[in-house]
Amino acid sequence: MSQATIDLPDYRTQSPNVAARFGRLKARPVVLEVCDLQKCFSSAQGEVVALQNIDFVVHRREFICVIGASGCGKSTLIRILAGLETPTAGEVLLDHKRVSGPGPERGMVFQGYTLFPWLSVKQNVMFGLKMTGHSSSEAEPTARQWIEMVGLAKFENSFPHQLSGGMKQRVAIARALANQPRVLLMDEPFGALDAQTRCQMQSYLLQIWRNVDVTIVFITHDLDEAIYLADRILVLKPHPGRVDELIEVPVPRPRGPDQFISPEFLATKKRLEELIHPLSESAGDKLPTLRLTRVDDEVE
Amino acid sequence: MKRPATSHERWFKIREELSGRRATLLMALSFLLPLTIWCIASYVPFIWHPDIRLEVSADRTDVSTVYTAGDHVSKEFFPTFQKAVREANARILEDRKNGRGSSGVMVRRDNLKKLRQLAPLAISNGWLRPNQREDDAAIFEIWKKLATGALVLQKPALSPENLEVIRQDWEMLSATGPNFDARKLPDQPLLSLVPQGTPSNPSYLPAPHEVLTTGWYNFTAGGELGQLSLFSRLLISIRIVFTGFLLSCLVGVPIGIFCGTYSFCSKVSEPFIDFFRYMPAPAFSTLLVAIFGAHDEPKVALVFIGTFFQMVLVIAKTTRQLDHALLEAAQTLGAKSRQLFTHVVIPGIMPDLYNDLRILLGWSWTWMVIAELIGVKTGLTEFIETQGRWRNFDAVFPVIILIGIIGFFTDQFLGWFRGILFPYTRRARSTVKSARKIEQPPPANQSPKAESSVTQLTMT
Repeated sequence: MSQATIDLPDYRTQSPNVAARFGRLKARPVVLEVCDLQKCFSSAQGEVVALQNIDFVVHRREFICVIGASGCGKSTLIRILAGLETPTAGEVLLDHKRVSGPGPERGMVFQGYTLFPWLSVKQNVMFGLKMTGHSSSEAEPTARQWIEMVGLAKFENSFPHQLSGGMKQRVAIARALANQPRVLLMDEPFGALDAQTRCQMQSYLLQIWRNVDVTIVFITHDLDEAIYLADRILVLKPHPGRVDELIEVPVPRPRGPDQFISPEFLATKKRLEELIHPLSESAGDKLPTLRLTRVDDEVE
Repeated sequence: MKRPATSHERWFKIREELSGRRATLLMALSFLLPLTIWCIASYVPFIWHPDIRLEVSADRTDVSTVYTAGDHVSKEFFPTFQKAVREANARILEDRKNGRGSSGVMVRRDNLKKLRQLAPLAISNGWLRPNQREDDAAIFEIWKKLATGALVLQKPALSPENLEVIRQDWEMLSATGPNFDARKLPDQPLLSLVPQGTPSNPSYLPAPHEVLTTGWYNFTAGGELGQLSLFSRLLISIRIVFTGFLLSCLVGVPIGIFCGTYSFCSKVSEPFIDFFRYMPAPAFSTLLVAIFGAHDEPKVALVFIGTFFQMVLVIAKTTRQLDHALLEAAQTLGAKSRQLFTHVVIPGIMPDLYNDLRILLGWSWTWMVIAELIGVKTGLTEFIETQGRWRNFDAVFPVIILIGIIGFFTDQFLGWFRGILFPYTRRARSTVKSARKIEQPPPANQSPKAESSVTQLTMT
């Protein structure tokens, strides 16, 4: 790692545009507030602290990514935000009201496919509306509109098993947004997709987010994905899970795939690499050297 | 350098499905093979055939066992049997020559029996209907026609020895008058027909054609002497199975679903049910008869007991296997507890529930066979029971096969119907492919590219 690298700017330097944007963002009201969150699990080995001293706020229409090595409690955090788990200590406030269970104002998109297989695309999207007391005749136009927004108007009468993975997740996004949630929680939603579809989905998500008044909390372990999507990136550190750094992404919006090699992008990525894969640990990952090849030329 | 696959390699590939035509062929073969073995064992004489099946039988005064036509005797015993009858005939002739011998009512009754010896032969030749076994006037006519040669027995043909016996007896019978009159039967003993028979398999392995003809006859005709036809018996059995099964569903399905959904229900009922199911249902038979009487009610109750407890446990398990993520997703969409139950749990488990019930219906059929034996025996099982006691296995096999066929086709039908009810559970390849195809969205001029990517996907 000692070879000369391109000179990268500091990831904290922001262009005037970006700085102004962050100024505006922070002036917006706080939607989600996480206060001194702690979560313990009891296991055979005793108490395991999954999350500790988690504190952050999310502003309206912000896109925040949570990133961290596996086992750092990302999923636990988002499940607490959704109300599917109760924190051991601390609390989550949505619009200054305490969260005590799952609810339609916090829509969620899961990593696995959680569409209801017995319902058509349209019925899936209508599900939340019906659960919150809307009649079918009210729900149907709304559902149509959201299906159109994720570009699946042609498939409104298809069933989930007839859709590809990417399409299923688009329906899941439409389904969550149809309830017009304050926050959209996304737990590695594109983790199961192939690289090409995943790229496509990321750009779809940015397009949707631009047109909808929704705040997104997005969990991922993919650095590129986090930088490409997020305003701010919350980096978690494992054992116990705690906040390592909250990075303001200096890449200007609107974002496009060409920015993957922009200096700001690379600088941010370098910083994330340092945080998530520290050098000291990767040294321990070396395999013992056993040469079994008879070809002389070095691969390296 | 690909060498053509040998036939061995084509048919035997490790963990690879055979193509449609080969699969169909093998499927047909799986039925034909046992059938062929059965046919060979039945029709090729030197394969097995340890018995003689009697076509003409006779009474022997010195043996208490009575053999009638259609009975089986062992190959070793048959010559002894024939010899004994011949000796008895010789004695009668000798007595007649010497003017000795018994006479009277007893002899006349014996003579009537000897007259009726022809009945099975006449029936198998179609001259008599099976219910005319004791229509002596008709038998008398046949006797006359046989003796005068107006009729000739075809299946089985009579041995010359027996033809001679018939002629000699007819001389005495004809002396009594042109028509049958029981009171005028000769009071001198008639000769007995000498036993005749063909090599055959034991009665528990009837030949296919016997099973078919007997089965068809029993199924269509009303049976003998006011007995029920197989068809009406089948309806009785079906009624018992379905009443028991539906009652069990009515109670078991809701309880099962509640147990799978609410820990409270599960904890309060499942341990006992789990214990109860180890008590075999047939053990309750006498108790059930005491409670419900001897007719259909205890039988339905037995099917119920046999099915219900398993049903609750199986359905509770199925309900628990519902993907928890679906429940969580529904909760984040605003579904409350009751809505989760009615809108996620119930529709979510339907396909698996349907399959469970399909399997449990199969169990109900098994319980039915036992249930019909308790109290007053009824239905198909009663028929199997009685016919089996009489060793009429050519009548038993069709019933067993019938139950098998009904079970098999019901299941096939229900399996097919599942695909209609729950189309989303069908994992057809074509749908996956079409989804891949539509993944690349609109522009129509790009479709060839999309096509090629599909073919690439399927190639890999």
